[in-house]
Amino acid sequence: MAKEYLGEFEELVLTIVGILGEEAYGNAIVAEIKERLGREVNLSAVHVTLYRLEDKGFLKSRMGGATNARGGRRKRIFTITNAGLAMLKAMKEARVDLWKLIPRLNYDSILY
Amino acid sequence: MKENRLPLRFLRWFCPPALYEGIEGDLLEQFESDIKEFGEKKAKRRFVWNVVKFFRPGIFLRNRISTHIINTIMIGNYFKVTVRNIQKRKFYSFINAFGLSIGLAFCMLIALYIQDEREFDQFHANKDQIYRIEEKSFDTWRHDAPDPYRRSAWLQTGLGPVIKEEFPEVEYVTRYNGGNSVIFRFEDKVFTERVTYVDKDFFNMFSFPLIRGNADKLFQDKLEVVITPAIATKYFGDADPIGKTIEIDNNGKKAFTVTGIIEPPPAQSSLTYAILLPQENRNYYERNMKNWGNFGTPTFVQLRQDASQQSFKANLDKTIEKYMGEMLERWRKEAAVPIPPDAKMLEYEFTVLPEIHLKKEISWAKVSDPQYSIILGGIALLIMLIACINYISLSLTTSASRRIEVGVRKVAGAQQSQLVYQFSFESLMLAVVSLVFGFGLVILFLPYFNEFTNKSIGLSGVKILQLLSIGFALMMVTGLLAGSYPSWFLSRFKPASVLKGSFTSRLQAGFTKPLVVLQFALSAFLIISSVMMYKQMRYITTKDLGYDKDQVLVIPTQAGWGEESNRVVEQFRTRTQSEPVIVSVAGTSLSFNQGYSRYGFKIDGEQKSVYVYAADPYYISTLGIQLLEGRSFDANIPADSNAVIVNEALVRDMKWTDPLNTYYNWREDTVGMGARVIGVVKDYHFLSLEQKFEPMVLSMGKDDYLTTLLVKVAGNEVADGLARVKTIWQELYPDKPFDYTFLDEDVAKQYNSYKRWMSIMGLATGFAILISCLGLFGLAGINAVNRTKEIGIRKVMGADLRAIFFLLNKQFVVLAVLAFSLAAPLSWWFISKWYMKDFSFKVPMSWELFAISMGAGLLLALATVSYHAIKAAMLNPAQTLKYE
Repeated sequence: MAKEYLGEFEELVLTIVGILGEEAYGNAIVAEIKERLGREVNLSAVHVTLYRLEDKGFLKSRMGGATNARGGRRKRIFTITNAGLAMLKAMKEARVDLWKLIPRLNYDSILY
Repeated sequence: MKENRLPLRFLRWFCPPALYEGIEGDLLEQFESDIKEFGEKKAKRRFVWNVVKFFRPGIFLRNRISTHIINTIMIGNYFKVTVRNIQKRKFYSFINAFGLSIGLAFCMLIALYIQDEREFDQFHANKDQIYRIEEKSFDTWRHDAPDPYRRSAWLQTGLGPVIKEEFPEVEYVTRYNGGNSVIFRFEDKVFTERVTYVDKDFFNMFSFPLIRGNADKLFQDKLEVVITPAIATKYFGDADPIGKTIEIDNNGKKAFTVTGIIEPPPAQSSLTYAILLPQENRNYYERNMKNWGNFGTPTFVQLRQDASQQSFKANLDKTIEKYMGEMLERWRKEAAVPIPPDAKMLEYEFTVLPEIHLKKEISWAKVSDPQYSIILGGIALLIMLIACINYISLSLTTSASRRIEVGVRKVAGAQQSQLVYQFSFESLMLAVVSLVFGFGLVILFLPYFNEFTNKSIGLSGVKILQLLSIGFALMMVTGLLAGSYPSWFLSRFKPASVLKGSFTSRLQAGFTKPLVVLQFALSAFLIISSVMMYKQMRYITTKDLGYDKDQVLVIPTQAGWGEESNRVVEQFRTRTQSEPVIVSVAGTSLSFNQGYSRYGFKIDGEQKSVYVYAADPYYISTLGIQLLEGRSFDANIPADSNAVIVNEALVRDMKWTDPLNTYYNWREDTVGMGARVIGVVKDYHFLSLEQKFEPMVLSMGKDDYLTTLLVKVAGNEVADGLARVKTIWQELYPDKPFDYTFLDEDVAKQYNSYKRWMSIMGLATGFAILISCLGLFGLAGINAVNRTKEIGIRKVMGADLRAIFFLLNKQFVVLAVLAFSLAAPLSWWFISKWYMKDFSFKVPMSWELFAISMGAGLLLALATVSYHAIKAAMLNPAQTLKYE
């Protein structure tokens, strides 16, 4: 955990890839982020992040089958690796641990 | 879909192939959904934009690994081929490297110069809060000019204390007067020293480090002095200077205590000093404090961090109203010309400290013109361009030998882009070599360059690093610039036609001719310009000034502005009368180029001005000034104390027809008629040749003191005469320093900056000629080689040496003449607009000048190309033709 670190956007993309399972490719990820978070992200930013995550070993990719849409071009399908899952989990736990340390006295109304 | 082809081509160009399909698909899918959502037009725009957004390091840097591998494989080969090529054609490589290294060296030197100019006064910690106040006042002498204002940094003495007292936004104020000479005495050491008068805030405002003394406590007493270590050593040797008292003679002797030692100012400082005294010690200080009409004191302020410039300006305006309102109104009414009601008589402006060095419109000891940087940069670029042209034209004309190589490489699978890369690599290699030599040249030439430009640039570690990075950038630019056209030209050969051998060995790189013309025109421009500058300089230095400036010693009397000085002159003359080496002794108020005094006054309601020199009866004879009418002053005629001798310009100005029977009321005497004119002298250049003849009077009045001795020594014994004068001086005035200059040197000094520019231009021209001649020499050689067979055949057919010589040189002569006719008007325009514009007395521009420059240039070019022409013409045709 200490060695590797994920940025906020990287973590988001990694999570979405996990959610989409076998259907994770560029456009689908952009659409998913828009649908779930209402956040507009740029396709090129998603691509760059995907490649970086692949470099780090959290994702792997393969070319999917051709379809009639998208000018007959194949999709590059990304799937999350075990290392990626472990990373997500570790980050989530670390955050929860920190979360618990926030004193609750005065913030109850805001926090809960 | 067709419309998307261009963006996709762009994508394919930078996108790594492995990623391409996935990205392209995603983009197209996005496009399809955009059509549904936004319509086709907007979707297309978004598509282009989306493609452009993919052009980011995260994508295109993924290419690197693959291209990197190819390059390192080939670089070894490129390197080897480059080295072989350089070895094979040593002479051409030398020409190229030589030219480029000189060009690079020039550029680096100029870069150093420009950087030095920009670094002026940057070392002050408070530089952005410190301002120099300037006055802008209506100039009645130039009332009809488009900008009738005079700007200067010399202000009233009282302004500084008023600002300090009354302005809430001002933190520190100091006045600053440099340049006054006083006599220093400590035990047996007596010297004249230039002192600088400042206020106590000086030490807190500026970042001149104090070695000894406390900045907050200095100058609380007005009999304190702060000196640099060099001055301390000069007077006190190794003893501790703090607390020592030194006697300073400045219109009266006073004892001063040394309370501080300050570092000398760095070279890049607009403020200079060696000895600092409190302002209160200036002559007539009390009087000047009260007189708001006397402008003689530069003033600097430091605003508080949060102060606004607007409120500072508003306060300055209020100050003018408060202290000078009445006086300015009176001046306005009494002005010789009507002053437009909307024009302000006086206004204060201010300039932030780092900008004063390049603010050329306000005179200051070290002010510089930003134009110099531009001109120097232009010269460096010209040389660089000439060197680059050498490279291009030599590469083009020698490309025949590379043709087979290009063909073979292409057959073996090289693409044009790779060949371009290869040839660019070669030119870069050459540029690297040149950079190394160029750097050596910079180190070698820096001392001379400093001398030429009157700078003191040193090479510290940081400077070297900066210089190297500048040099490296220049090298990349020139390497690629010079290499771009040749590499494109060379890589374009079609392998089939090259390898089949259908190319003749003759070259038809037509592009070289315009290049040679351009190169020659640039050289010609420099030649003509420097010849014109040289002629003007010669004209100035040899022109008859109307008086005899040789063998005249100029010695200040060191006795102040008063009767005492007159006595010194008289005493010295009496004492030296019997000396054979001393021809004559005269007294005057000011020698030439030591400043001037100009009076402005009204005669019959008309504004007049006149330059005034105090003179004694020996002045005219000592200087050999020609008297046209009347007589010189006579010591035995008491009325001569109210008489003047005028020059022709004054007679013209006053429109006198019979000057000897007129009176000249230049002191605005309301009782008498003024001074009687007793003589008229022929106009002589008492001002520099930049100025026209202006009205001038010589006066022997009671109020004109003779503070300067002019001693003429006998013709061949200047050294003896000087020694004798010095001995007599020390005998008469053992407590006064003997300072002297030679009159002719004083006069020559006014043209130092012109001379410097002439030297720089001459140097640049020399190098430009050298580089372009080398290039021409190389070109002529190739040309001769290309035509070896033709010459052989011509000789067999009966052509003689002369005909062949003519044949080979004809084209160069035509090119040179063409270049000269281009350069002549250009250089004429440049020189008259820039160099000559300040001179009132100019050497006439004549066609001979152009003819001589052109003839010399042509001769030089012919001499350069003739070597090859003669060599080719002398060859035995049997040798050149036997291989056919």
